[in-house]
Amino acid sequence: MSDAAFLDLAGLSLGYDGRPAVEALDLSIKEGELVALLGPSGCGKTTTMRAVAGLLQPMGGRITLGGRDITRVPANRRNIGLVFQSYALFPHLSVFENVAFGLRRQRTPKDEIERRVAEAVAMVGLTGFEKRLPKELSGGQQQRVALARAVVVRPRLLLLDEPLSNLDARLRLEMRTELRRLQRELGITMVYVTHDQEEALALADRIVVMRDGKIEQMGPPEAIYETPATDFVARFVGFENVFQVKDGQLRAGNGAALPLQAPVDGGTAWLAWRPHAVELGQGPYEGQVLGTSYLGQSVEYLIESTVGPIKAEAPAALPRHEAGRTVAFGLPPATAAAIPR
Amino acid sequence: MSSRMGGLMLALVFLFLIGPFLIIIAAGMSAGETLAFPPQGLSLRWFWAVFEVESFRASFVLSIGLAVGATLLALVLGVPVAYALARYPLPGGEAMSTLLTSPVIVPAIIVGLALLRYVVIPLDLGIIPALFVAHTALLVPYAVRVVSASLANLRSDIEEAAVLLGANRLQAFFLTVLPNIRNGILAAFILGFVTSFNQVPVSLFLTGPGVSTLPIQMLWYMEFTYDPSIAALSALLALMSMAIVLVAERFLGLSRYV
Amino acid sequence: MFTSRTTGLMLVLPAVVFITVGFLAPVLILLAQSLRLEDGWGIGNYLAFMNDGLGREVFWRTIKLAALVTLAAAVIGYVAAWAIVETRPERRGVLVGMVILPLMISPVARTYAWLVILGRTGFLNVLITNLGLSEEPLRLLFTETAVFIGLLQLFLPLMIISLVSALENLPRDVVPAAQTLGAGWIATFFKVILPLTREGLVIGGTLVFTGSVTAYITPAVLGGSKVLMLETLLYQRVSVANDFASASVIAAILMVTTLAANRLLRRLATPRRR
Ligand SMILES: Nc1ncnc2c1ncn2[C@@H]1O[C@H](COP(=O)(O)OP(=O)(O)O)[C@@H](O)[C@H]1O
Ligand SMILES: [Mg+2]
Repeated sequence: MSDAAFLDLAGLSLGYDGRPAVEALDLSIKEGELVALLGPSGCGKTTTMRAVAGLLQPMGGRITLGGRDITRVPANRRNIGLVFQSYALFPHLSVFENVAFGLRRQRTPKDEIERRVAEAVAMVGLTGFEKRLPKELSGGQQQRVALARAVVVRPRLLLLDEPLSNLDARLRLEMRTELRRLQRELGITMVYVTHDQEEALALADRIVVMRDGKIEQMGPPEAIYETPATDFVARFVGFENVFQVKDGQLRAGNGAALPLQAPVDGGTAWLAWRPHAVELGQGPYEGQVLGTSYLGQSVEYLIESTVGPIKAEAPAALPRHEAGRTVAFGLPPATAAAIPR
Repeated sequence: MSSRMGGLMLALVFLFLIGPFLIIIAAGMSAGETLAFPPQGLSLRWFWAVFEVESFRASFVLSIGLAVGATLLALVLGVPVAYALARYPLPGGEAMSTLLTSPVIVPAIIVGLALLRYVVIPLDLGIIPALFVAHTALLVPYAVRVVSASLANLRSDIEEAAVLLGANRLQAFFLTVLPNIRNGILAAFILGFVTSFNQVPVSLFLTGPGVSTLPIQMLWYMEFTYDPSIAALSALLALMSMAIVLVAERFLGLSRYV
Repeated sequence: MFTSRTTGLMLVLPAVVFITVGFLAPVLILLAQSLRLEDGWGIGNYLAFMNDGLGREVFWRTIKLAALVTLAAAVIGYVAAWAIVETRPERRGVLVGMVILPLMISPVARTYAWLVILGRTGFLNVLITNLGLSEEPLRLLFTETAVFIGLLQLFLPLMIISLVSALENLPRDVVPAAQTLGAGWIATFFKVILPLTREGLVIGGTLVFTGSVTAYITPAVLGGSKVLMLETLLYQRVSVANDFASASVIAAILMVTTLAANRLLRRLATPRRR
C-alpha cells in the first residue's frame, strides 16, 4: 500500500437531466485499499460508482486513476471492473464465455484465454460449471460468475455495487469472507458499495458514509463505529438514542427536554447511546415500558419517555421489566458517544 | 354454459373459420374445367397447372422478393427505433411514436394512391421501387412493435457490463443485445413477410401491365376465368402459410408476438 | 450510459425520414387535395360526394356492414373465447393457434373460398337444388350477405384473440361469485363479465370495425359492382373514371372514419369515474 492517492475524486458533481444527485464529492483511495461506500438507499452510491466506471458523465469535477485524469476516458478504455447488483450476466453465453468476454475483447491468445478463464472459475469455486448458462445457476453461483468475469481481465480498480444484497443471509456471510480473501490474494483496489453497516464494518479498510449525495464521515471501521462524527452517522451505525445537547439539557426533536445526568464538555452538540449503554432499572429518569423483544443473549426494551421512545438493552439473565410498567433509567454521558459541533 | 355446449359452439366457430379452406382444397382437386363443388372427379391437374401460368410465376417471384426485401429494410429501419425507444429518452417521445406507427392507422389503399400520384408519377419512379417503399413503410411499425416486445425483457445493464469489459457501443449491441433478441427479430421477419406477401390494397394502384404481385394477379385472374386454378393456388398458399406458421410457432412461439 | 439524446435521435432518424418522405407526406398531400377545388379550396368535393346518391349509399352501407360485422364478431367472439378459456391450459394454446392461423393466410385465398361456397355452381347451391329447396340456383354472391359473411370470417379471429386475453385476466372467481349471489347468465354477463372485459372488447371491436371499413378484397370479390364499399368505390373512381377529386374525398372519408372509430372506441374503453 503506497500512500499516494490511486483513485482520486475531486469536486465530483453528478446528476440526471441536470438534477444533482451527488455534489462536489472529494475522495481519495490508496492502491490496494478496500473502501466501503456506506449509506441509505438513494444517497448516491450507485451514481458515484457509475461515474467512476465511466457509465455516467460528471456534471463537474475530476476523476484521476493512477495519476492520470480519466474524466473523459470512455468506459471501455478505463479498465475498471464493476460487479452489478443484478450481476448483469450475458444470458445467452455460458459461464466460460461470460468470463472470457473481456479477454476476447483484448484479443488475448486462445490458449491464454483457456488458462485464465479456468483460473478465474477455479478461484470462485465453479470448476465444472463452465458449460452452464446463467439461468442454470443459483443466485450465489451467478454472483461468483460476475466476480470472476470482472477480475479475470485484471482491472486496475474493482467496483462492487451491493454485490451481496440479492443473496440470503447465510450465503451473504460466506461470500463476504470469500471477497475479503480474494481482495487480499489479488491485492486489488476495491470500492464496495453497501447500505448494510455490518457488511461495511466487516469488510472494509476504510468506510465512507454518504448522505444525500455528500460525504458525512470517512475513516477506519473502528472510528465510524465508536466515534461517529454526526448524529446521522450515529443513527446509521446503531446508536438508537441520539439527542441534541443544549443549555445542560438533552433535547428531543419534539422540543421536549431532560436535564443532563452529568455535565459534559462544552463542545458537545450531540450525545448518542447504543441500547446496551442505557442504564436500566436505576437512574434519574422514568418511563413506561412499551414493549420488549427477546434477542437470545439479551432483551431489548422500548421505553416511552418525555424525550420520546428510548431503546435499551439488558442481559437476558437480569430480571425482566414487564410491558406497561414504569421503569427508571439513566443516560450517563460517560457511556455515550459525544458528537462535537 | 355447460362445457359440452361450449365445445359445440367452438366446433361451429372453427367450422366457419377453417371449413372454407377444406372446401377450396377439394375444389382445387377437381378434374373438371370449371369451378364446382363437389368437384367433378378428382385430379391434381390444377395444382400443376398453376405452375404453368407465366403471370402467376412472375408475380409469385415478385411477391416473394418484395416481401423479403421490404421486411429486411423495415427491420433495418425498425430495430434501431425499437432499441432507441427502449434505451434513450426520445426527443418529442409521443409525437415521434405516433409518426412511426402512423402507417398502421392509415388505410393501406390511401398509401398506394398517394404514392402513385405524388411520388411515382412526378418522379417517374418505377413500379417495383414504389411497391418496395410502400410495403416497407407499412411494415416498419410491425418491426418496431415485435422487436420492442423482445427488448422489453432484456436488461440494459448487460450492455454496460460489455462496455466495461472493453467492448465499444456497437460491439456491445452486436455481442450482447442482438443474440438475445434474435427470436424477436425472426418473428418480426416472419410476420412482416406474411403481411407483405398477402397485402393487396397498398399494391392495388402500384401494379401495372406485366408487373403485379401474386394476390393482385389472382384477383385479376378470377375476374375473367372461372376454372379451378385459383382454388388450387389458394390451397397451395394456405398450405404454405400454415407451414410457415407451424414452424415459426414451434421454434419461436410466434403467437406471443401477434 | 443511455442519456445522450443525439444518439437516440440518430437511431430513429432513418425510419423517421423514410416514413415522412415515403409515406406521410404523400398521404397528407392526398388528403389535402380533397379540399382542392377548381377555383381555390373548400369542402365542395365532399358536398358533391354526399349529394351523389351512390356516394352516400356506399358510405352508409360501409358503416352499416362494418357495424354489423363488429356486433356479430362480438357475440360469437364472447362465446368462442369463453369456451377457449374454459379448456385446460395446454389445449388452450392449440386452440388459440387455430384461431390465429387463418390470419396468416392470404385474404384472397380466404375470400375465394366463399366464391366456391356461394357461387352459382357452388357448394350451397348444389345442396339447395339437390335437396329440391329451389328449382333454380339462388343468387347468393354479390349480395350484402355474402360480403358480411366474408368480412366476418376474415376478422372474427381478431375479436376472439382480444377477448381470450381479456377473459384470461378475469379474476377466477367473479363468475361463480356472481352466480352464488343469484345472478343468472344474462345478468352475470352484463353486470360482471362485460364491464371487466370491456377493454378487450374495445380493442377487438376497433380492429374488426376499422378492418371492415377499409376492406377491399372481400367487397371486390363477393360484392362486385353491385355491393360497393368505400374502397371498391375508390378503386373504381380512379381506375374507371380517372376521377381523382372524388377519390381523394373517399380517401379522406376512410381516414376520418378509422380515426374517429379509434377515438370513440378508446373513449368507451376507459371507464368513467363516478
Ligand atoms: N437513471 C436515473 N434517472 C434519474 N434519477 C436517478 C437515476 N438513477 C438514480 N437517480 C436518483 O439519484 C439519486 C441517487 O441514486 P443512487 O445513486 O441510485 O442511490 P443509491 O445507489 O445510493 O441507492 C436518487 O435520488 C435517485 O432517485
Ligand atoms: Mg444503488
